[in-house]
Formats: sequence, C-alpha cells, structure tokens
Amino acid sequence: MELSNKPVANPVVVLREEFDDWAVLFNPDTAEAVGTNPVGVAIWKLMDGKRSLQEIVKEIEDRFADVPDAAIDEVAAFVSRLVESGFVGYDLEGFSE
Amino acid sequence: MTGESPLTNKPDIRIMSTPRSVDVEITSRCNLRCRYCYYFDNPEVEYRDLPAEEWLKFFDELGKCKVMDVTIQGGEPFIRKDLPLLIEGIVRNKMRFSILSNGTLINEEIAGSITKTGRCDYVQVSVDGSKPETHDSCRGEGSFFRAIRGIRTLQRHGVRVTVRVTVHRHNVNDLENTARLLLEDLGLARFSTNSAGSLGTCRRNAGNVLLTTRERQTGMEILKRLSVKYDGRISATAGPLAEARLWSRMEDAYAEGSSPFPNGGRLTACGCPSNKIAVRADGVIIPCSMLPHMELGRVNHDSFEEVWQSSATLNMFRQRHKIPLTEFEFCTDCPYLPYCTGNCPGLAYSLTGQVDHPSPDACLRLYLEDGGLLPKAEDKAI
Repeated sequence: MELSNKPVANPVVVLREEFDDWAVLFNPDTAEAVGTNPVGVAIWKLMDGKRSLQEIVKEIEDRFADVPDAAIDEVAAFVSRLVESGFVGYDLEGFSE
Repeated sequence: MTGESPLTNKPDIRIMSTPRSVDVEITSRCNLRCRYCYYFDNPEVEYRDLPAEEWLKFFDELGKCKVMDVTIQGGEPFIRKDLPLLIEGIVRNKMRFSILSNGTLINEEIAGSITKTGRCDYVQVSVDGSKPETHDSCRGEGSFFRAIRGIRTLQRHGVRVTVRVTVHRHNVNDLENTARLLLEDLGLARFSTNSAGSLGTCRRNAGNVLLTTRERQTGMEILKRLSVKYDGRISATAGPLAEARLWSRMEDAYAEGSSPFPNGGRLTACGCPSNKIAVRADGVIIPCSMLPHMELGRVNHDSFEEVWQSSATLNMFRQRHKIPLTEFEFCTDCPYLPYCTGNCPGLAYSLTGQVDHPSPDACLRLYLEDGGLLPKAEDKAI
C-alpha cells in the first residue's frame, strides 16, 4: 500500500487567523507554530485529503490574482515544510474517504 | 456586577480577534496563607469557585476561539480534586497549559496525569529560600520541604519545572544559596525572580515583608552577580533584578543625554491586554490577575470573543499607553521621564487608587532620593 498524493491537514493543528490577514498554524501536541499569509491559509483549508497538489494549485489560481507560473513548486515546497513538521500528512491509498 | 454594558467601543489599535493566552484562576482556595500574597484580601473580589461543568463549558468556548494556551493558577490549583478533569477539558480543546503552584500538594498521581497529557508547557513552583527558615518565613511552617518534594515528584515524571523566587525582607540574604539549590542541587535549567509587592494580603504585612531601599539594593547586587555567575539562567520581569537592569539603562541614558526610549515617557509598561486576558475563580473576566477589580464580563454569560474585542473598559485600558507621564504631578521635573514606562498598572492601582498612573513602587527617582544606589558599572554587563 502506498501513500496518496493528496495532502491532509493534521486535525489537531489549530488555524488562528490574526490581524492583517496573517494566520498562525499551531500544533498543540508539539507547541510548534508557523506563520502564514492568506494564500497559505487557503492552501491549508484545501488540504482535506481529497485534492492533489495540482488540484490545490488550480483552485489557488482561480481565487488569487497574479499567481506565478512557479506556483506548483511553491505550493509543493510549502506543503513539504508542513509535512516535515507534522502539520500535514498523506493518507494511505484506499484509506482516504 | 459583571462589568459594563453595552459592549460596544471598538479599539483604535490592532488587536487579535481572540487572545492567544488566558490566565485562569481555577480556584480561590489555597492551603497556604503567604504573608505577601497578591491574590487574597482584595475587597472587590468575590472568592468563590466555579463548578467543573462551568469551567469545561468555558474551555469549549476557548477552543472555538482558537486560544493557544491556558495558565492555570489560583489560589492553589492542586487543591481542586477535579483538576485532571479540568485539564482534560483544556487538552480536548486543542490547547496547551501551564500551572502556577506552591508545590505542596503535588503527588505521584497528579504528576503522572500531567505527563500523560503531553500538553504541559511547565509547572511553576514557588520557592523562596534555600532552607525552611527563609522559605517558611512568609509561606508557613513545613511548606519548604513539601515544595521541594513537589518539584522532585514532577521531575521524576518528566514534567518541565520552573521556579519563581519572590524576594522579600526575610530571604534577600539567602539568594545565593537559593540559586545554588535550584540550579545546582535540583538541576533546574533556570528560575525567575520578582519581589513582594503592595497588593492583596501583602498590604497588611507591608512593614515586615517589603524590601527597604537598602535591602532592595542588596537584592540588586546579589542577583546581578548571580545572573553573571549562572550565565543568564536567572530571569526577571519585576523585582530587584529587573529593576537593576532597567534602572541602570535609564541612568546611563540620562547621563549620556540619549534619545528617549521608544516606549519611554508614557504608560507603556503593560503589554498584556494585546495578547492575553484573565478569568477570576468566580468566572469574572478581568484584564489581568493584578487588576481583579476591573470586571469585563462573566464566562458562559457574556461572549468571550465579544468581551475581548469590544469591552469598553478593556479598550480604554488598551489606550493607557498613550498617556504621557508629563500629565502626572508625581513625575514633575523627573530627569528619567523619557526613559520611564510607568510600570505595573496593578501596583499603581493598589498604591494610588488609579490604574492610569505610574506605579510609585517602581520609581527610580524615589529610590535614589531614598539613598538607594544602582550596581556598579562593572556589574552592569549582564
């Protein structure tokens, strides 16, 4: 069995939307916190285990103006950082809803 | 009874939609009666505990507000037999917690239950001396050995322990041994210090608890030396060490004719109301435990988020930083004014009856006029 390519946000992580559209992702299990901008917040909310990275990027392009061509790389890097710190994971294929 | 209505005023400063941290006075009961306690003997406070179900309902609301951490304090939190249940309510709502305690009621069972949560940032235990004679002088007979036993129990269970040393007349000359006990014998990473202040019960006992100017100077000298010796493992946001650091900077700035400090010349000392708030044991929401009379609302009755964002009293308090020290007769002709922040509003209220007033207890000019000296220049580099 392999991991899916559809990232899923760790359900224990708390998204705190702060002022000026900035937000904090806070993992109460580890006390780690990551600051993020509105695009990062949108990506976070799209990581439901049902969308692939490509599908997430497509939705970001629909929602935000002037999304650069390299968006897929940036989104992949952002998600990768969150995976490394335990904020995001991947379901096993066949186990996602 | 529960603060103002309607909750309408909007602040003209940016605040978070909800506070990141909440100080919860989980109980108004305590097994000790410390002579310098800030908590008891506040005539405006109703010393009554909310039942567990009320706290649990409130913790659900904090979870919805995305609060990140709760500081459980009292009274003495461990006096509540249902503390594990309450902690479970905090954990269930995706928050972390810390506990402020006198340490004397900590046992294997409760220490183990704290460890199991995986969400405890620290338990802070009060230790005021290296031996019963100094620690127990203000906290009561037998409390020293029980506090030390509590620390060792927490350490055995892998709970991160911090210690707060409150400096007063009876332990100022025991600070060196206290530091050795905490940092060497008990192996703590660090500890913090403050001093007894003229709040609550302490006001009744001020004459034989509060530091005199001479003792304050002694405390500054000893703590600055120990801070160097232990390489930054002793911290302070109030008390002799904090004063030694801030007042030395103020004196240097004045001597060199430096520009005003960025936060100087106004009542800027308290930054708490921008990111945290507190709740009394009876469920009344207050800005801070040092200001228990400022009732903003009541948990499970008023919307916590609405109180945070729209309480007229709280938003007025948030404007305090705009008040220039030149407005106060107390500060007339003070040469240190461009570098002064007015210090704690809780102490200011206790001593002057006004929240919007500089605290006389934290006045460098008064300290110097009373014969106090600051540590020598060679001791300043810490």
